[in-house]
Amino acid sequence: MILRLVRLLLVLLVVTFLSYLLLNLLPGDPTTQILGLSASEEAREQLRRELSLDDPLFTRYLAWLGELVAGDLGTSYTTSVPVTEALAERLPVTLELLVAAQLVALGLALPIGVAAARRAGRPLDQVLTALSFGLLSTPVFVLGVLLILVFAVKWQVLPATGWTPISLDLGWNLTSVLLPAVTLGCAQTAVYARLLRTDLIATLQEDYITLARARGLSPRRILWRHALRPSAISLVTAVGLNLGALIGGAVIIETLFGLPGVGRLIVDSIFARDYLTVQGGVVLISVGYVLVNFAVDLVYVAVDPRIRRA
Amino acid sequence: MRRRLGWGFWLALGWIALVLAGAAAADLLPLPRYDETLAGPPQSGPGPDHPFGTDGLGRDVLSRVVYGARVSLGVGVGAVVLGLLIGAPLGVLAGYRRRATDAVIMGFNDVALAFPALVFALAVVAFAGASLVNVLIVLGVLGVPAWVRLVRGATMVFSEREFVAAARVLGARDRTVLWREIVPNVSLPVASYAFIGMAVAIVAEGSLAFLGLSVQAPTPTWGGLINEGRPLMENAPHVVLVPSVVMFLTVLAFNLLGDRLRALTDVRQSGLEPVRRRRADRLPAQPHHVEEGVLLQVADLRTHFTTVRGTVRAVDGVSFTLERGRTLAIVGESGSGKSMLIRSILGLAPDAGTLRGGSVYLDGQDLTELDGEQLRRILGTRLAAVFQDPMTALNPVRTIGAQVMEPLTVHLGMKRGAARARAAELLASVGIPEPARALRRYPHQLSGGMRQRVTIAMALSCGPDVLFADEPTTALDVTVQDQVLRLIRRQREERHMAVVLVSHDLSVVAEWADEVIVMYAGKVVERGPAATLFERTRMPYTEALLRAVPKLTDPAHHPLRLLPGRPPDLAAPPSGCAFHPRCPYARERCTQEEPPLFQAEVPDHLYACWYPVGTGAGVVETSGISGTAEALKAAETTGADETTDAIEGADSRGR
Ligand code: SF4
Repeated sequence: MILRLVRLLLVLLVVTFLSYLLLNLLPGDPTTQILGLSASEEAREQLRRELSLDDPLFTRYLAWLGELVAGDLGTSYTTSVPVTEALAERLPVTLELLVAAQLVALGLALPIGVAAARRAGRPLDQVLTALSFGLLSTPVFVLGVLLILVFAVKWQVLPATGWTPISLDLGWNLTSVLLPAVTLGCAQTAVYARLLRTDLIATLQEDYITLARARGLSPRRILWRHALRPSAISLVTAVGLNLGALIGGAVIIETLFGLPGVGRLIVDSIFARDYLTVQGGVVLISVGYVLVNFAVDLVYVAVDPRIRRA
Repeated sequence: MRRRLGWGFWLALGWIALVLAGAAAADLLPLPRYDETLAGPPQSGPGPDHPFGTDGLGRDVLSRVVYGARVSLGVGVGAVVLGLLIGAPLGVLAGYRRRATDAVIMGFNDVALAFPALVFALAVVAFAGASLVNVLIVLGVLGVPAWVRLVRGATMVFSEREFVAAARVLGARDRTVLWREIVPNVSLPVASYAFIGMAVAIVAEGSLAFLGLSVQAPTPTWGGLINEGRPLMENAPHVVLVPSVVMFLTVLAFNLLGDRLRALTDVRQSGLEPVRRRRADRLPAQPHHVEEGVLLQVADLRTHFTTVRGTVRAVDGVSFTLERGRTLAIVGESGSGKSMLIRSILGLAPDAGTLRGGSVYLDGQDLTELDGEQLRRILGTRLAAVFQDPMTALNPVRTIGAQVMEPLTVHLGMKRGAARARAAELLASVGIPEPARALRRYPHQLSGGMRQRVTIAMALSCGPDVLFADEPTTALDVTVQDQVLRLIRRQREERHMAVVLVSHDLSVVAEWADEVIVMYAGKVVERGPAATLFERTRMPYTEALLRAVPKLTDPAHHPLRLLPGRPPDLAAPPSGCAFHPRCPYARERCTQEEPPLFQAEVPDHLYACWYPVGTGAGVVETSGISGTAEALKAAETTGADETTDAIEGADSRGR
């Protein structure tokens, strides 16, 4: 446990350091990049002092880290909005999208994986396996474009873009999150279904399953009570590990579907040369990702009696 | 090789070759230039001049897709090469050197893997500028951790193999070992992952381009084309569809190549997996007579599997009867079909590709005629089974209590409270201390002996009439073995049940069994009362088994006595008497005619042999087909045959 915590801190330090380092990647004079060519010499001098650009890198990082811990990521020079505030406003959208996508993915993967495993090697399994393989090979923006083409342009049953906050109207909120969540969740569905299938096939060959059959238990009971539980536990780790891919996808989905989330904010800020906001978004996402993975690890330990120590 | 890779592989390879050739020769193709506006009317659909139509500015879509392939494939290949160049040496170093080097490299690697890669790529490109070189470097570097992990894993596997260890012992320099032995062996997994890595890089570049953060206009890229086509979706869907489909096919093709190559390294297929065709079929059975007043009668039971290599006769015409209060032992080498016999009696043999025949009567009722529901009721209450390995016999993620209580609630309809109390009694009766506490524990918290007691308690929970114990003590310590066998015998006496004990240990059999069946290649080759069978052995195979039993007079650490020769290949059993290649008494007739079961002088003692031992019939001629000495030598060098073990495993593999 102590080891885990030390590792977590270490990873967090590296992640934040790399995020801080991003500013140094700016070619030429950063003040010109941030303020634009037309900025006055005084304004630049002020920014230079604010960012303490004359200090050595590591000192600057530590100072920045101190402010980060205090919840201050600076104020955007383009919009004059504190970065933390901008992010806080956008975060709920991204979180809802991620959660909805995971629900879609798990909700689809469970029946698909179970169906494929029960009929391993037979036609249904082969079709499902091929479908999963195809889905895994579909870039998320290609899938999104196709889904928009079908559901929003051709059939016009779902909106292609736009967002209704959950506080405004739950029904519309769900409508606006449905297509993005399905797009984002689909690729994960393939990952999860594959994993579940493989794991379940292995589990169903275990002695304890044969013995459960020898005890005259019904196939359904064996599947749901005996086999699915150990397999579901392996799925928990996959959910955590795939969060990285999911977050990357969320940036694209938010842009594609016009959702006002953190990913969209980052992309918009990139084009607005609002570097502080970009940096803030990257910090938020990577730290969040590391923390969620850490939490998943803990959950895994909690639900799997095999690694839980008495 | 061609057949194993499958047509999908060649199709995918063809597609990639086509796209590559198109990208390389784009300037030579009779296409309008990608940036030539108004090459045709804007947004026009596919036609003779423009096979894939034109975009919003009247540019040829096909041309733009072909030129776009340069960036996509270039970044895909380039990023993989870069990642490999950095990652492979680190991975080999970590896997080969181990210890500190390994720890440091893998520590860094773990941290690097803890990043949301695409977001980081996005940020770096955003700050450093969107250009081909930057995109390539970022994607290449982000691929490094995965490469390190893969190469390290492959290197570790191979550096443990004998030939590498041998080369090290012989004093070969590390670098020589690396180049000669390890590099060629890790190249297949590396090639497989290279294709998958290309697919990943192409998608990542596409994502960046889609967001407008890859190579800038006017150079076309696939992701960029898809982004451009979006506003035209309503009127000219082809503008977005064509690059989408091309991109999908390309990514699919790369993934397929990687997947097929990886399947090549998979050596699990042995040709003995059941062919999955239809559900179980019935084999015609010999006419037999159902004996009255007998608890269990097995009549001409057959279980055959259709495999790629032919029909495997795992159980081939086994018959016996068993009365209450008695123990029947089934002995034979592993692969002789004894475990499959138990599973066939209980209806647990795999379904797919299986041919069944014969009957199992319990108090005169034929179990093979029952439907699933009826059979389950009997399995739960009247028949019970214990398997060899207590480590795998209990569900690791359910508590002991949940597992012991389950048959009680399902079959006996007990309420939870009552079931819990009964479960505790059961655990106490098999000698588990503090049963109430044990109910709350998980299997891994108990020792092997305790776990086997739990499985016995579960088997006994509904008061069965017959207990099938498949090598119940083989996986246990010698001291625990005796306790478990005593426990089974005590329960047999208390409950007046019958026991079928599968074992390869004849000393156990001699002590605990009333009757014995010796199996070879799925058939009964000798059968009789235990004392008679051991004293007046007729079948040479039984004699060989008896000889192989370790004797008290053996010096300590005496090497395990092996049976001479190899167990038979069940997919292609020897002609005549299946034992003839290993039999010291075999003669001409044995290779041609299969011996039936003969009646010995003691009633109920049967044997299948033309020249039984102990009757003088076997020593007339000495020109055996294989002498014992040679066979023994062969056994020393070959060991057990893996293919027959695969059959034993088949019962757990299929469903
Ligand atoms: S003597 Fe002939 S029939 Fe008897 S076991 Fe040997 S080979 Fe088989």
